[in-house]
Amino acid sequence: MATTLRPYLTAVRHTLTAALCLENFSSQVVERHNKPEVEVRTSKELLLTPVYISRNEKERVLIEGSVNALRISIAVKQADDLEKILCHKFMRFMMMRAENFFILRRKPIEGYDISFLVTNFHTEQMYKHKLVDFIINFMEEIDKEISDMKIAVNSRARFSAEEFLKRF
Amino acid sequence: MILLEIQNRIVEDTLNLKFNNALAGNKPDLVDVSIADFDGVQYHISNPDQDRTKLRVSISLKFYKELQEHGADDLIKREYVAAQKDRVTVIFSTQFKEEDDVVIGKEFVECRRHQQQAPQVLFSYKEPPLELQRTDARTGDRIGYVTFVLFPRHIAPESMDNTINLIHTLRNYLHYHIKCSKAFIHSHMRAKTADLLKILNRARPEQVKDKKTISLVSRI
Amino acid sequence: MPETHQFGAIAIYTHSWNSNRSSLALSSSSNIVDLYKVSGANYQKVNVLSAHTQSVTGIDWAPKSNRIVTCSADRNAYVWTQLKDGSWKNTMVILRINRAATCVKWSPQEDKFAVGSGAKAVSVCYFDSSNDWWVSKHIKKPIRSTVTCLDWHPNNILLAAGSSDFKARVFSAYVKDVEEKPGQTIWGTKMPFGNLMAELSSGGGGWVHDVCFSGNGDCLAWVGHDSSLSVVNANSLSNIVTFKTSYLPFYSCVWVSLNRLVAAGYNCEPMLFEFNGKNIKLVKKYDTKEETGGDNVISKVTIHTGTKEQCKKFSTTGLDGMITVWDIDAK
Repeated sequence: MATTLRPYLTAVRHTLTAALCLENFSSQVVERHNKPEVEVRTSKELLLTPVYISRNEKERVLIEGSVNALRISIAVKQADDLEKILCHKFMRFMMMRAENFFILRRKPIEGYDISFLVTNFHTEQMYKHKLVDFIINFMEEIDKEISDMKIAVNSRARFSAEEFLKRF
Repeated sequence: MILLEIQNRIVEDTLNLKFNNALAGNKPDLVDVSIADFDGVQYHISNPDQDRTKLRVSISLKFYKELQEHGADDLIKREYVAAQKDRVTVIFSTQFKEEDDVVIGKEFVECRRHQQQAPQVLFSYKEPPLELQRTDARTGDRIGYVTFVLFPRHIAPESMDNTINLIHTLRNYLHYHIKCSKAFIHSHMRAKTADLLKILNRARPEQVKDKKTISLVSRI
Repeated sequence: MPETHQFGAIAIYTHSWNSNRSSLALSSSSNIVDLYKVSGANYQKVNVLSAHTQSVTGIDWAPKSNRIVTCSADRNAYVWTQLKDGSWKNTMVILRINRAATCVKWSPQEDKFAVGSGAKAVSVCYFDSSNDWWVSKHIKKPIRSTVTCLDWHPNNILLAAGSSDFKARVFSAYVKDVEEKPGQTIWGTKMPFGNLMAELSSGGGGWVHDVCFSGNGDCLAWVGHDSSLSVVNANSLSNIVTFKTSYLPFYSCVWVSLNRLVAAGYNCEPMLFEFNGKNIKLVKKYDTKEETGGDNVISKVTIHTGTKEQCKKFSTTGLDGMITVWDIDAK
């Protein structure tokens, strides 16, 4: 399994680098507005063909580009009920703090656990390659984090149960 | 504290202090103590009508009203005891606040590496265990059942009290454990989120300190 | 060695020099245009042009008349003239558009300018002295998306416009009220206002980011989001030469001699290309990382010293808030 992680992340990195060529682009539809085209989807020619990268059935990303914004949605590996809950809790925790994360979308796209929205204003204020680094790092960390938490919760449960049963 | 005590320590200590005080013949003090316990239970120890010679212990249960409505204690604390020649089976039902709790609780109950002397513990979820199938046991998304199979050594006269106490605290212990696990997960997530934010903030260029340009001269 | 200057950590959208490069107009991602006095490597902010209410998207400084035209996402454009005391006064432009203005360019004779917009139109503007403002005529057909870039033919009549509908087009911008009837060119003979002289596509599906007429007006170059650079000679419009690169897309391009041009953009480093009529080849890359430390997207390339026929130095501005002046012969 681990051998497929590298190419998976490399593919995501290259796709992000290519899709993060954004420019300031005012709305063609609403006067004096500047909206992420990937969200409003009002002009078909301003959207790029979405790219779908999948490592397996459960781990996949969807990268949707447009002239002034990019959306990346990530489905995180969840092997059992506990991982599902931990993942869900963690994502919700982060999304509730979306304003600190600038590029985090408050709601994931349907079918995914978390979505990021990067606009031209983000790429103007932040280094693009470091934004890409962040997303890749996030993908690496999240799996590790969930399995760490799972192990911790499990061993905690085992320990408490034993303490209890010892008393009989 | 890993194990929950079956009594409330503060209530016990307060009362002991008062009783000892009284036994020693000292003048009783005025008492007004409020104590909060697990699951929103509150105790209040006071003197009725300012009478220092009497102590009143009140307990407030959040769900007491509901209990009254249903008229019976055993609606939520339904227990089932079946005695056979060589074993006694005790089954609890317990309700979880949310779906997530069920899973965390399950991790707890399903730890199968039991101590030698401990009774067998089984957990079933949504559906009641076989023994209860023909009763009107409640079923539902957030109802779980814990089954203890007690062997003769657990109900021998000398260990009976201990066994009963332990079994009665299980429900609280389980929920207490779930809360602790959630608190643990929460603090873990907080730390990780802070870490990730740090990485994201590295993407912001540092402000250029040494500005060579001189501020504007005139503004139109 | 290229000369650089860091203006701060704010992205620069565009910049324009005055005729002798002693002054620079600059727009960061704000509603204000900053004017700098430049001597050597010393940049001194001397003025600000603040009439726009949203981010300034285009600046063009007319070399002969010393007027500056600016346009903005607030749907307006202003022509700025310098008064005796050194301050700048703006004149209104009646653009008649209801979407953001995206780019602006003076015609070679500086009696007209063109403004592209999100209204899927080009406003060709000329002065109406009776009202003391600039009025405009619209070119709309057959533009199907935002006009992203413009360039004038040296004959002051033809206008190239690139759009996010993946096409570069050449129109006639002949305004009979203000100018003589144009003579014929190799782009065509009939030139009523708004006439489509050529519609060009690289064949790919990329938004056109920049267009540029060659110095003699015979060739048109454009760059697109499909990472391509295309050149066509008006003598054979069907024969479009497209160079598809493996780099990230170019965002801006400019001719630096009759057969060479510089392009730069998301790949961060400017590149020099040569067009020999049949194909395009990469001559060299200007190394940004080693010499300037810059590693950010280039938003604009302009000629610094020289002309489109013979450019000695060009300048680039980027999202890293830096301007760089390059010697064309630099390694």
